Amino acid sequence: MAGDADFRHGRAPARPAYRRRMSDQRDAAVLAENLRKRYGDTVAVDDVSLRVEPGEVLGVLGANGAGKTTTVEMIAGLRVPDGGRVSVLGLDPRRDRARLRQVLGVQLQRADLHPLLTVAELVALFRSLYPDPRPADELLDLVGLTDRRRTRFDRLSGGQRQRLSVALALAGRPRVAILDELTTGLDPRARRRMWAAIERLRAERVTVLLVTHAMEEAERLCDRVALLDGGRLLLTDTPAGMVARAGAGNLDDAFVALTGKEPEEPR
Amino acid sequence: MNNADQLPATVIEARRPGPRAWLTMILCEGRMVARDTAGLVVPIGLPLLILVMSASSAGERAAVNGRTGLDVFVIPLVFTIVMALIGVVNMPSFLALYRRTGILRRLAVTPASPFMVLAAQAVVSVLQTAVGVAAALAVAVAAFGARLPARPVAALGVVLLAMAAMYATGMVVAAVAPTPNSAVAIGLVAFFAFGALGGLFGGRDALPDALATLGGLLPFGATVEALSAAWAGVAIDPAHPLSLAVAVAAGAAVSVAFFRWD
Repeated sequence: MAGDADFRHGRAPARPAYRRRMSDQRDAAVLAENLRKRYGDTVAVDDVSLRVEPGEVLGVLGANGAGKTTTVEMIAGLRVPDGGRVSVLGLDPRRDRARLRQVLGVQLQRADLHPLLTVAELVALFRSLYPDPRPADELLDLVGLTDRRRTRFDRLSGGQRQRLSVALALAGRPRVAILDELTTGLDPRARRRMWAAIERLRAERVTVLLVTHAMEEAERLCDRVALLDGGRLLLTDTPAGMVARAGAGNLDDAFVALTGKEPEEPR
Repeated sequence: MNNADQLPATVIEARRPGPRAWLTMILCEGRMVARDTAGLVVPIGLPLLILVMSASSAGERAAVNGRTGLDVFVIPLVFTIVMALIGVVNMPSFLALYRRTGILRRLAVTPASPFMVLAAQAVVSVLQTAVGVAAALAVAVAAFGARLPARPVAALGVVLLAMAAMYATGMVVAAVAPTPNSAVAIGLVAFFAFGALGGLFGGRDALPDALATLGGLLPFGATVEALSAAWAGVAIDPAHPLSLAVAVAAGAAVSVAFFRWD
């Protein structure tokens, strides 16, 4: 709510939290320590630690199978880590589940919605779950689905479904948003629209964890990026810092230089 | 300065979705059921068709207590078909769809619990059953001169217990079915198996003794028998409501043990 006012008055977005003098006593918005997860013999996530400051946009980068989705799903409380600890706004995603659900918005990579309900009906359903939801018009405008409000979910294109999913993740005015592959499969116009939506979240000081394979997106939106490879955290740095560390010309090249892999679309 | 940053975790309250959320969820489930044409029409229309086809002849045949075959055989059977189709075939197909497509998982990251979806489906199923049963009864009474149950309270009690038993059976189907299509397949097989043993294709007298006894204890046959007794005004054999209660308990236990949300 408070963020809304900031936005309307056109106040400049706050400087990224990490650039302010951070004392360690200050609470992180998201704190993940030594996360581990294995599926059978495969180690999906191996000793990953992340710290996201309030109001920060952190990009989670990595090739397919690097452990990005597993990591954020453990942070969201959807998967139980085999080891390590997660705290979101000081809450344990499993133990304080009910409280965390009030302030955390999650867009999953693969999750459909009631196929026979319209966009407007789904927005109404998700809004009804929160005490102070964002207005429906605003949500639809944010992701550019205003002219699709009467369309049933099963008749939306893949990109439209994804945009709706993002809108629903923001319905309850979350303080932390986890967005898994925001713009995969979107056309350039829709992609820019989603980027504008993230800029707006930044202006509202929402903490964002953004899983992405699109380096242009990471460069443009993220205060810092975390680069995963084979389940391990290679680095966390600013996009410019990552480019400099790799001695590369841009983030794409830095990604390839550091991981030896191409940043592909998710399978 | 946005003071949200400094809010300690303790001020975040866990708020359960309120009445408005429940109403919205029920409306959404209602729309899902209403827009699924086959699932809406078959459980109401098919029993009505069976009623209309057999009502005339059964209505002329005397049974017990001055009641006709329409009262004590056809109406109980038609009621049971409505409840079984909705509870055992329809409801699990929605739950399997929701699980398969990730809807339950999607709702698991909101303040809604997946249980809310289940409860909303139950409410809508009860409403759909009420419509189906009321339509059948209205047609039977208005067009074929059927009479209301001799023991209405007992009949209502049996209907409620039977719905719980059908729903519990449907939860088992939803728990074991990996996909929406297999949920419909397993649900239909269960429906016809229970039905065949419970008088769907003619009286259980024609079945071998052991099968006839078994059929009378399964939810379908037990419902038909108990409703028939309530309509005729004779004593209900306690074995039938008892076996329905056992079906509720067993179905609940199995589905709690095996149901997966994602």
